[in-house]
Amino acid sequence: MELLHVKIPSWGDLQWWLPEAVLCCTFLLALLGDMLARGRRPVVAFAISVAGLLAAGALAIADTHAVAPAGGRAIMGDLMVVDGMAIFFRLLFVFGGLATVLFAWTSEEIMGHRRENKGEFFALTVLMTVAMMVMAEARNVLMLYLAMEGVGLTSYVMAGYMRTSLRSTEASLKYVIFGAVSSAIMLYGLSLLYGMTGSLQFSGIRAVLLGGGAEPFGILVAVVLILAGMSYKIAAVPFHFWCPDVYEGAPTPVAALFSVGPKAAGFALMIRFFYTTFAVGTNAAASNSLIQVINWPLLVSVISAVTMTFGNLVALRQTNVKRMLAYSSIAHVGYLLMGFVLLSEMGLAAILFYLLVYTLMNLGAFFFVVAVNNHLKSEQLEDYKGLGYRMPWAGVMMVVFLGSLTGVPPFAGFVGKLYLFTAVMDRQWFWLVIIAGLNSVISLYYYFRVARVMWLVRPDEGHDSPLRLSWLQYTVLACLAVPTLVLGLYFGAFKDLADAGIRTMAGG
Amino acid sequence: MNLPHFLGVVSGVQGQGVQGHFATALIFVLVGIAFAALALGVAKLLRPSNPSAAKSTTYECGEVAHGSSWIRFNVRFYLVALFFIVFDVEMIFLLPWAVVFRQLFPVPGLGALVFWDMIIFLAILGLGLAYVWAKGDLDWVKKLAERSGPVATGITEEEEVPAP
Repeated sequence: MELLHVKIPSWGDLQWWLPEAVLCCTFLLALLGDMLARGRRPVVAFAISVAGLLAAGALAIADTHAVAPAGGRAIMGDLMVVDGMAIFFRLLFVFGGLATVLFAWTSEEIMGHRRENKGEFFALTVLMTVAMMVMAEARNVLMLYLAMEGVGLTSYVMAGYMRTSLRSTEASLKYVIFGAVSSAIMLYGLSLLYGMTGSLQFSGIRAVLLGGGAEPFGILVAVVLILAGMSYKIAAVPFHFWCPDVYEGAPTPVAALFSVGPKAAGFALMIRFFYTTFAVGTNAAASNSLIQVINWPLLVSVISAVTMTFGNLVALRQTNVKRMLAYSSIAHVGYLLMGFVLLSEMGLAAILFYLLVYTLMNLGAFFFVVAVNNHLKSEQLEDYKGLGYRMPWAGVMMVVFLGSLTGVPPFAGFVGKLYLFTAVMDRQWFWLVIIAGLNSVISLYYYFRVARVMWLVRPDEGHDSPLRLSWLQYTVLACLAVPTLVLGLYFGAFKDLADAGIRTMAGG
Repeated sequence: MNLPHFLGVVSGVQGQGVQGHFATALIFVLVGIAFAALALGVAKLLRPSNPSAAKSTTYECGEVAHGSSWIRFNVRFYLVALFFIVFDVEMIFLLPWAVVFRQLFPVPGLGALVFWDMIIFLAILGLGLAYVWAKGDLDWVKKLAERSGPVATGITEEEEVPAP
């Protein structure tokens, strides 16, 4: 019995969706626990969230061994697909969510005595993790939008978590307004696409496009609108305005999660949407359907070049470390977009690998700012004077993160950038590589300015007492710093995972 | 490809198949615009025009309006509106479900799914209601004294770092 031609999901689908199902239950349990503890013992919600994230992570790892059919396993009535790419992002998001929950527990901004509803914070982080995972799995336009709003709504609340702080409230409001506008623009594009093709499934849209059943001008309008909406989410120029203000106003652990989670999810969505609807199969007939109507490589390469240049040039002038990291994250979106220029499997796999590296190093750099903020109540660069001597271990790890963000050789950032550059060089887009190279040089200056202030300037008299970090902070920072080093030397296994992810996605 | 042609195709006036369904929507839009324009236009032609200051004041049930309507509303009104919307949407989901339930429930393998799907949905909403209740957000007058610390005073500039 097929009602209205909709494939009805069955309970059996849940077995391929266990990590997400576990996290959904974790979210509800954490809320329930927080309620029963009358909001006075955030440790209840914290413990439930950590346990749930660990369980989801274990299940996601177990899933990597499950043999998925080529093209992935369509679940929930074909609304979502579990393939190599979905599994890759599952692991990435669970890791990011777990690191954020653990570090937020030690953050004064989250756990300070002025804060209320602390338990809610952990529950919301879990909810956001689920929504990001669904973003990476959606293969239906409705599901895509639902997941995106799921991430959006939770992040608006989290940005305004410091209710008594004017900056945090402002950040939240800005985020809501920009988010609503971008959603509206994207929805308009999606509705045009639906109107022309009559299908909500990515595969259905592709079939109509391949058959030449849609107006090229209509596709052009729809693609530009959808790309604009998604560019808001990943904060690519010229849709980046919200990014520095939101990161600066939001609590630092939240900014850390924002800078990696929703961005990675946005890229996952863009990869799946644009690749499977417009460019799947590297044969000429298929990839031409997009290129006929729009000069895709030129459009994306210009966005990429402008984004990285803008991010880096503005980051140069920042005196607030958090704000500097916000602009640097814009620059990294520019680098990531390089892999998107040609919509080739090589480039997309490079994006996946770079997202992994970027998650490690950017979370690390933001968490260092959290640790410093706990003690100094400041994010200004001048207050970082001699910090290396006051917290040597954390200082060393910060240099690792900064080096990796710059992309200098022994660190993972270098390998990631190398793959992105190669993907573009493969088709002789030399000008983009030259711009990206010059940008890396610019970024060297502002990243190492932080390292210089920390290590080459002695602390002021009276401000040179050693600063203590808790064991939890050291553990989380080490869990980010060690892979940042190791991935710079031994990256084969993870690159294979990224390659396999793109291959199974492309197979469908 | 020019714009009129594109609009024609999207709306289904030109072309066939799925796009044809959108012709209905286009006709609705056109009729809507035409109806309003016609009603206002004919009235404009027929009615005497005799404006005065008293006529253009705000009509407030015959009372003389005083003060501006641009005032700050208590945020509680929005909270109540939100609760209302949540349960309104619940109704919208429940109604079509209830309509097809009799047909679907006997179908083997589908009945349990259809039943438990809705129960889970209701349970999540119920938990949400219990949560806001426990947090005291259903009380019209919130008890601020029970809350500890300086939170109750609202937004302050404390712990602010001057913007660069």
